[in-house]
Amino acid sequence: MKLKKFGAGVLAMAMAASMMVGCGETAPATTEAPAETPATEAPATTEATTEAAATEEAPAAEAKSIEATEITFWHAMNGNLETVLTQITDEFNANNEYGIKVTLVNQGAYGDLQTKLQASAAADALPDLAQAYNNWLTPYIDKVVKLDDFVATDFDNWDDIVSAYRDECSEFGFIHAVPYNKSTYVLFYNKTMFDELGIEVPQTWADVEAAAKTVMDSKNIAFIGYDDLAGAVEASLHQNGSDYVDATGALFNDEKGLETCEYLSNLYNNGYARLVGEDGYFSNVLSNQMIASYIGSSAGVSYIKAEGWDLGVAPIPGNVAKAANMAGTNIVMFSQDSNKQLAAWEYLKYITSTDAVVEWAVGTGYLPIRTSAYETDAYKAYMDENVCAKACYEQSKDFFFSPTFDASNDIRSTVPSTVEQLVYDKADAQKWLDTIVEAINAQY
Amino acid sequence: MNNKRNIGNIIGTVLKFAVLILGSVFTILPFVWMISSSLKTPSELVAIPPALFPETPQWVNYKEAWAAAPFARYFVNTLIVTLCTTCGVLVTTVLSAFAFSRLNFPGKKTVFSLFLATLMIPGEMLIITNYETIIKLKWIDSYKAMIVPWISSAFYIYLLTRFFMQVPESLYLAAKVDKCSDFKYMIKIMVPMNKSAIFSIAILNIISSWNAFLWPLLVTNSQEMRVLSNGLVRFQTEAGSSTELIMAASCMLVMPIIIIYLFLRKYIIEGVTRSGLKG
Repeated sequence: MKLKKFGAGVLAMAMAASMMVGCGETAPATTEAPAETPATEAPATTEATTEAAATEEAPAAEAKSIEATEITFWHAMNGNLETVLTQITDEFNANNEYGIKVTLVNQGAYGDLQTKLQASAAADALPDLAQAYNNWLTPYIDKVVKLDDFVATDFDNWDDIVSAYRDECSEFGFIHAVPYNKSTYVLFYNKTMFDELGIEVPQTWADVEAAAKTVMDSKNIAFIGYDDLAGAVEASLHQNGSDYVDATGALFNDEKGLETCEYLSNLYNNGYARLVGEDGYFSNVLSNQMIASYIGSSAGVSYIKAEGWDLGVAPIPGNVAKAANMAGTNIVMFSQDSNKQLAAWEYLKYITSTDAVVEWAVGTGYLPIRTSAYETDAYKAYMDENVCAKACYEQSKDFFFSPTFDASNDIRSTVPSTVEQLVYDKADAQKWLDTIVEAINAQY
Repeated sequence: MNNKRNIGNIIGTVLKFAVLILGSVFTILPFVWMISSSLKTPSELVAIPPALFPETPQWVNYKEAWAAAPFARYFVNTLIVTLCTTCGVLVTTVLSAFAFSRLNFPGKKTVFSLFLATLMIPGEMLIITNYETIIKLKWIDSYKAMIVPWISSAFYIYLLTRFFMQVPESLYLAAKVDKCSDFKYMIKIMVPMNKSAIFSIAILNIISSWNAFLWPLLVTNSQEMRVLSNGLVRFQTEAGSSTELIMAASCMLVMPIIIIYLFLRKYIIEGVTRSGLKG
């Protein structure tokens, strides 16, 4: 009896303690999406292959009589991004001739949206439209509406969409999405510090090493950091002419892979590069002038507070080739009702029209998804004012996206912690290569 | 001799206070840090070396955080959900704990084992099935969806059953001799005797309900139905977060919990410590 009582007491205390510390139902860390999922290089087939998607396609343009209906659109746009999205959506709701009303539903951050989509797919309660990364979709790709017919019959020039985005949106063998809030990784740097030390913006790995040495010698701080370590490994491999992963495993266990690891490990072991630590993003570290530059998403530019120094933004350095991660979600359609599909398509056409794209890009800092949008006076004027937009545009020809397959999500969450451990251990290049390859292959 | 004892006493007291002060500093520091961060500018936040207090308090952070989402509405929702789930939990827990500890009915042990067995299922696994149920019931975007699944807890029932079992059987029998009904016995004897345990359960439930994030996010869609914790993600995007605003919003979020604690701390401390030291 005593034991029982004591047991109950201990349990009560343990529970009290655990609840006080980290209470509530938070999403399990494993299901959380990586902050930014740059996406692929996989073969892009624009033609529809029928076996992959089970969803019926609605007849598009011929008989266009759409009944007034309500469309729900789940998104993860917060703050100013949500304001601009709401504004564009309100314009559509007020002006469309069919009485279509699009309701925006904010589902928190990307991780929350991903969790909710997955749960809703299991419960057959998906919304009509939702933002999504390709690697979220694999478990329920059969519920995604194929958009090939819509694009073929009722879309103003699919070829006007930036080609890397088109490839990404047809990764599964059919058009499963339209690109929307796209960003890319760029090099943010302290221009004042660069000028003071006479450093040119680095174009190549060798430039990075030389500039890093100068900064280390005179300021004793790191030169570069990466917000996304998995993205850094992937981009560096591409920059060295190597492949990263595919559905069978790691593809860089060779000389080029070793060279890449040598570059990265030397950066860290010499103190030229550093980890971000608890802050999570280098925007704070750069703001505070504790680092000379970092590579991160162009969408993060508003978090850099350049007080007492000038911010510079440049395309990310390459080696034998240039390669830049792209990031940001696309919009997928889930509605099964043909009238709703038509209505949702009207909305998608509207928000991806050149004018709306420019409004979105200028309002949020995301990249235009249409080449014609880059040509507009409004966007040109924006680029003249905005160094970040300019750098993104310069490297738009070098975009690549990460392929999606069963293990891709696990790889994305494994690589960063693996690299961090290697940095802590001050491991050499061979150890880097072996450990990363092993960590990746263990995910299959 | 006397002197020695005095010195010993003084050293003992000093040590005791030193440990207590150290402990309280460790406990309070995160709160102080949260409050001071909520009043800093973004660049002060990341300054090295960090300053404990901001140069000029940025009260505007609170204004900005408050304006970023309908926090007043979230607050009301959180309050409704927390109160209802806690009342629900107390009713179900007290009733079933009483049944399991005092009443005899066929299959009691089996039912109790089944209750315990549910503790072995991780909550994450239940989320999806519960969500499906809520959708089938068409409860999405309602208070029902946020409250009903959480008005009973096998763990609390188990816990309180253990407490109830410690009340001597003779009390029950004596009450029976005096023609006291089971319900009256429960209300008049069992509940007052286990006040502190019941309070602990209420407090723990209030805390977990107040901080619940994933479930309310899943079962609600409109801004009118969201709760406070959902509002916090407003300040995070894929590429960065406005820490000073998150901290300001967090301060607003935990303030009610701290106030509740200040009012009820006697019971909370009693509930947690006394029950732990019993036996």
